[in-house]
Amino acid sequence: MATNAEVPFKLSVPDSDIDLLHKKLDLTRFPDELENAAWNYGAPLSDIQRLFEHWKTKFDWRRAEAEINKLPMFTRDIEVEGHGTLNIHYVHQKSEVQHAIPLLFVHGWPGDFLEVRKILPFLTKKSTDYPSFHVVALSLPGFGFSEAPKKPGFAGRQYAEVFNKLMLSLGYEEYVYQGGDWGHLLGLHAVTHYGHQHIKAWHTNMAVCRRPAFLSHPLVFLSMLTIPFNKSVKADLEHSMVWRRSGQGYFAIQSTKPQTLGYGLADSPVGLLAWIYEKLVSWTDAYPWTDDEGKPDFARSQSTMLTRSSVIEWISVYWFSRAGPAASTRIYYEMTGGGKHDTFEGTKWTSVPVGVSYFPKELVRLPKSWSYTLGNLVFESEHDKGGHFAAFETPEKLAGDLRRMYGMGGPAHGVISGKPGYDEA
Amino acid sequence: MSTTAERPFTLSVPDCDIDLLHKKLDLTRFPEDLENAGWDYGAPLSDVQKLVEHWRTKFDWRKAEVEINKLPMFTRDIDVESHGTLNIHYVHQKSKVQNAIPLLFVHGWPGNFLEVRKILPLLTQNSADHPSFHVVALSLPGFGFSEAPKKAAFAGRQYAEVLNKLMLSLGYEEYVYQGGDWGHVLGAHAVTHYGNKHIKAWHTNMPLCRPPTLFSHPLVFLRMLTIPFDKAAKANLEQALTWNKTGSGYSALQSTKPQTLGYSLADTPVGLLAWIYEKLVSWTDEYPWTDNEVIEWISIYWFSRAGPAAAGRIYYEMAGGGKHDAFEGTKWTSVPMGVSYFPREPVHLPKSWVHTLGKVVFESEHDKGGHFAAFETPEKLVGDLRRMYGNGGPAHGVVPGKAGYD
Repeated sequence: MATNAEVPFKLSVPDSDIDLLHKKLDLTRFPDELENAAWNYGAPLSDIQRLFEHWKTKFDWRRAEAEINKLPMFTRDIEVEGHGTLNIHYVHQKSEVQHAIPLLFVHGWPGDFLEVRKILPFLTKKSTDYPSFHVVALSLPGFGFSEAPKKPGFAGRQYAEVFNKLMLSLGYEEYVYQGGDWGHLLGLHAVTHYGHQHIKAWHTNMAVCRRPAFLSHPLVFLSMLTIPFNKSVKADLEHSMVWRRSGQGYFAIQSTKPQTLGYGLADSPVGLLAWIYEKLVSWTDAYPWTDDEGKPDFARSQSTMLTRSSVIEWISVYWFSRAGPAASTRIYYEMTGGGKHDTFEGTKWTSVPVGVSYFPKELVRLPKSWSYTLGNLVFESEHDKGGHFAAFETPEKLAGDLRRMYGMGGPAHGVISGKPGYDEA
Repeated sequence: MSTTAERPFTLSVPDCDIDLLHKKLDLTRFPEDLENAGWDYGAPLSDVQKLVEHWRTKFDWRKAEVEINKLPMFTRDIDVESHGTLNIHYVHQKSKVQNAIPLLFVHGWPGNFLEVRKILPLLTQNSADHPSFHVVALSLPGFGFSEAPKKAAFAGRQYAEVLNKLMLSLGYEEYVYQGGDWGHVLGAHAVTHYGNKHIKAWHTNMPLCRPPTLFSHPLVFLRMLTIPFDKAAKANLEQALTWNKTGSGYSALQSTKPQTLGYSLADTPVGLLAWIYEKLVSWTDEYPWTDNEVIEWISIYWFSRAGPAAAGRIYYEMAGGGKHDAFEGTKWTSVPMGVSYFPREPVHLPKSWVHTLGKVVFESEHDKGGHFAAFETPEKLVGDLRRMYGNGGPAHGVVPGKAGYD
């Protein structure tokens, strides 16, 4: 029988793992590249070589580890029906505000729990001007420092069960949910199973969904037909076609043959680096400017996201992950039945209040009217800067949206009775 | 101006390359897999671990190299318009039969020039009962021991130019063509540009094509509509659609982000092994791969001249980076065409569709064999070529003066 006790967690990668990594880095063999390839064929060789150099000679994992360990982290066993027990790793930061709103933050791929790092202080801050949250941010099963599922078939229902049991185990009978990427998709599954009873509202920064059908969402469907797409919707759809045409290869391989791909990701640091770095750049609004010689100037990048150290730290969380880097890609397989259906299979429209933030460099932008198919749409916010990794790229914007959605006068204020996000004055 | 002189080629991988490979193998870090995953998620861990162990401790590359060097191999420079010179590696085996038919054999991905190895003695054999061939089998640019293109947009037209110039440089003004996988697709491009004038007939063991439309191929199209698909054709189409959903991830990735993938393939032997081995098994008809066969095959990629990442770029260039299909730029030609159907080829389209590619004069259906026909079932493939080109065959004498018999 699994123990339900919470155990404080300190990240401490064994020396032998760091040694192995460096031995491998020292033996790195690079591919060739076409002249003037730029980003057309994938991550450019010069970028990867520069990052590799940094990883080999400058990046200090122990220092990064010490910083990560400043976060309040824990693990506990969660039982999942049909799948036994999974040991789940999470950050849990309570606010000073006693009646703060319990919020579960869920990352995606190639994300990780550290995406919560920058918004944590914003969300837990005490103020009369905006609400405060108790924040829980887990490593998804198979990611970061959570165990991976051992058997096939760990999909929407199972992830939802992990989330809910985690929140319940922390004493949060009722909570709100925030996520993008898989965090968004799993949010749809979570509210399908635990909406209203436990999840009182949720927010997404990646509003994707199935195309509305006449029978399922007649009003949204009709709005598609009768109102000619306006210019901005057309621009949105064109932007989305780029991903569809030339940005989906990773999705196709991860949803069908994740194991085949996984050998390379587990064995080659540079292979893993390129695989993830390509998304960190193409899905964000933060590509570094070039310096006078035309070389990428990480120091001047528009956000702190793409400094060499932050990239290597991000990759390291995958490299040193508990289940190994290959495990994380299996979510694509399980959630699509091995490529046979979409990730919305098994979700239902619910009347749970939902808020949406739109960021311009999100990988796919669908017509905003479709957001009504996500749930009871009560909040929308559009930004002119930012991309896929909203909590990491533009934490104040995301936190600002959550504060407005849940704050006094906001459309989701007081969804959790007794926990409005403010203490009595 | 580049030299066009032919130079004999001896494969000799530097010791330091073999050392590096072994250093990497010794540090292999494996992923986990799920209980009872079988082949559902890709190449199974137990298979891959066994192969790595073999590679690490038993496989003798130098021994394999000696055997490969028994093949008559050469290199020569080929000029390609706007792409400069590429040094191309090839096998060239002449038959004792003076008027043998010149045949160009073209491999695909994840294939290599060694796929010609088993059919070579059969094709060049001298007999009154069947025709004989002079055989040329190149490493495609970016594969095996040929140089890779250096610039973007090396696609159908450019491959066809390499293939044709190679044959012309060997004195074969007129020749026939055989290929599967990219060999098939590039065949469609080759006959578009050089059909009838140089390529007098061609044969494919992977007859994929675009679906017929009313305007492109009205008769085939109408046949589709008016004659209900027979059970077999329907089953094939369903299976093709399923394969498209679940078996084409590698193609989606390689045709859009081959460089991103390439870092893994270049840096990790086990990563490369799994990437290719999965196809060696799933695309064959229970071929009894020995560990040595698999590792030798992977080694050609690992030790390839341009590195393993270069090969995948063919998917990108032929698809314009995912913008169109690989048949873009091809045309139906009246060049006589032969087709062999093997049951475990991953995709089977309705047989009538192959008429959209050319003038089909020969068809042969087998009950055994898969994608790598020349390697799996060499006698069946050669048997088909012999019947197609032999005395009384539908493509007999297509190359004037070189009917395959003295």
